[in-house]
Amino acid sequence: MFVKKKSLWLFLLPGLAGLMVFHLVPFIGGIYFSLTDGTINNNLVWFENYKRLWANQAFQQGLKNSLELSLMSTPIIFLFSFILAVMLKSLRERSLPYRNILLMPYLVPSSALLIIWMVIFDYGGIVNRLLVGLGLERVMWLESGALRVPIILLYVWKNVGFSVVIFSAALQSVPDEYYEFAMLEGAGPIRQARSITLPLILPTAFLVFVLAWVNAFKIFKEVYFIGGAYPRDEVYTLQHFMNNRFSKLEYQDVTAAAYSFALIVLVFFALLYLSRGVRGDDR
Amino acid sequence: MTGRLFKRGRISRFVNTLLLVIICALTLLPIILTFLYSFFPMSEMKAFLSTRNNYDQNRFMDVLLAPSMVSLRQYYDLLIDKPLYLQLFMNSVVYTLLILAGEIFFIPTLAYALSCFRFRGRNALFFMVLMLMLLPFQVTMAPSVLTMRTLGLMNTPWAVILPLMFAPFYIFLMRQFMVGIPTDMIEAGLMDGAGTIRTFFHVVLPLSKPILGAAVALSFADAWNLVEQPLIYLANSPNQMPLSVMFNTLSSSEQGVVFASAALYIMPALLIYSYFQEDILLGIQLSDMK
Repeated sequence: MFVKKKSLWLFLLPGLAGLMVFHLVPFIGGIYFSLTDGTINNNLVWFENYKRLWANQAFQQGLKNSLELSLMSTPIIFLFSFILAVMLKSLRERSLPYRNILLMPYLVPSSALLIIWMVIFDYGGIVNRLLVGLGLERVMWLESGALRVPIILLYVWKNVGFSVVIFSAALQSVPDEYYEFAMLEGAGPIRQARSITLPLILPTAFLVFVLAWVNAFKIFKEVYFIGGAYPRDEVYTLQHFMNNRFSKLEYQDVTAAAYSFALIVLVFFALLYLSRGVRGDDR
Repeated sequence: MTGRLFKRGRISRFVNTLLLVIICALTLLPIILTFLYSFFPMSEMKAFLSTRNNYDQNRFMDVLLAPSMVSLRQYYDLLIDKPLYLQLFMNSVVYTLLILAGEIFFIPTLAYALSCFRFRGRNALFFMVLMLMLLPFQVTMAPSVLTMRTLGLMNTPWAVILPLMFAPFYIFLMRQFMVGIPTDMIEAGLMDGAGTIRTFFHVVLPLSKPILGAAVALSFADAWNLVEQPLIYLANSPNQMPLSVMFNTLSSSEQGVVFASAALYIMPALLIYSYFQEDILLGIQLSDMK
């Protein structure tokens, strides 16, 4: 650890300056902007923008959908990646090719995959073929509210690998002796997962969940490719609302929406963090 | 008793592997199909895609697995006859290269300062990075637009590129890796009289190779798949858009070549991935992820 070195500034300043100019200052400065009326005088109107915004139906719809879509896909990614990571751990060194394959979609641009997705989920596509084969009714995946399913699947398909890699890394650090000892004591696989694995990787699990959740708001991408700027009501996200407001130059609405959303996200993180702390104390 | 346990272990291991093989096959399927379909003749693909959206209860789309003849016509058409695709592709290349170049300069230096130096406000600074990392793009977008307008960067590619050069997530990732570098190794350098700069280039950077590779590959994925930022910052300059935004507009009018354009678009990502995949796994393995 270096203490009191002048060269600190050499390393710190370039990155810090950029972080300030492009990330922190906009975030803080925008708060003031969201409280003004947006005319040349920039009169303070306090919470007028927020009141108008929260009464807006399109905003409510977008916010509701963004939260719903993310709260549906996050648990799926979280659970699925944990299970996959546990399955991979039992393969030891031979798990490498599987992990490599699972992470691959993370790098593939989703727009390029869209066309094959549309073919697979077409009314006459493979998925409906399977459903009929199983004696079920066909589903209008792309033309009804069921559109959420292919969108969430595309999102999960693309992003689950990254969470698997983080989970796998955490599982690798759990010593094998713990499990051998548990086996000798007669603990089954579920008991082992609950009493050994989960507590030891809890901090990592927290990170995976939070990252998966933040990233799940990017689900806009997939919706935009399928439905354009004005998709069906079921998949109209907050980002759609903001983009459309933005193109009408209603900046006040956009910033007010941004901070309303920030507040919701931060409250949720705080709750999540507190619940983690409480459970940590119980142990 | 041991015999039974052993046998049960073998069966469960078999089921385990089988499940993983199936899941991996399903994971690969869309990518494989995209590449496969890119070698179909254009007319066959056009005919295939036109059977979509048919709501007749008794009809399905064909499951195409082999082309009537293997054809490179789609690629030829795309690369030689349609200059727009290549132009957008090059836009994406330029965005990606500039973003990566900026990140390689700014992020390791900042991470080094945050992990190997002790100074007042360091923890506050790191907390700020964490907070910024957790804010969804929807939150940061609106304030950033105001900044970009003030700086006069709206509708220039820099509005997309500059903020991504300082992506908080990669600062976090790299810092978490660098705090794990044993202090002895850094202090040994100090004993030998090496300054902070030499330590950075001769000790810290070489040791950080896996996380550098991981960050390059992951941020390549971000930059290659840009959608939200250009849609906002470049709303009025469509010819500066990257391929990711225009891809679907382009492909809906060019049904015959859509799979070749998708395959070409995926290719660089797969090449980067195959080059850096070990780094991603190792880099995240060695970082403090909690």
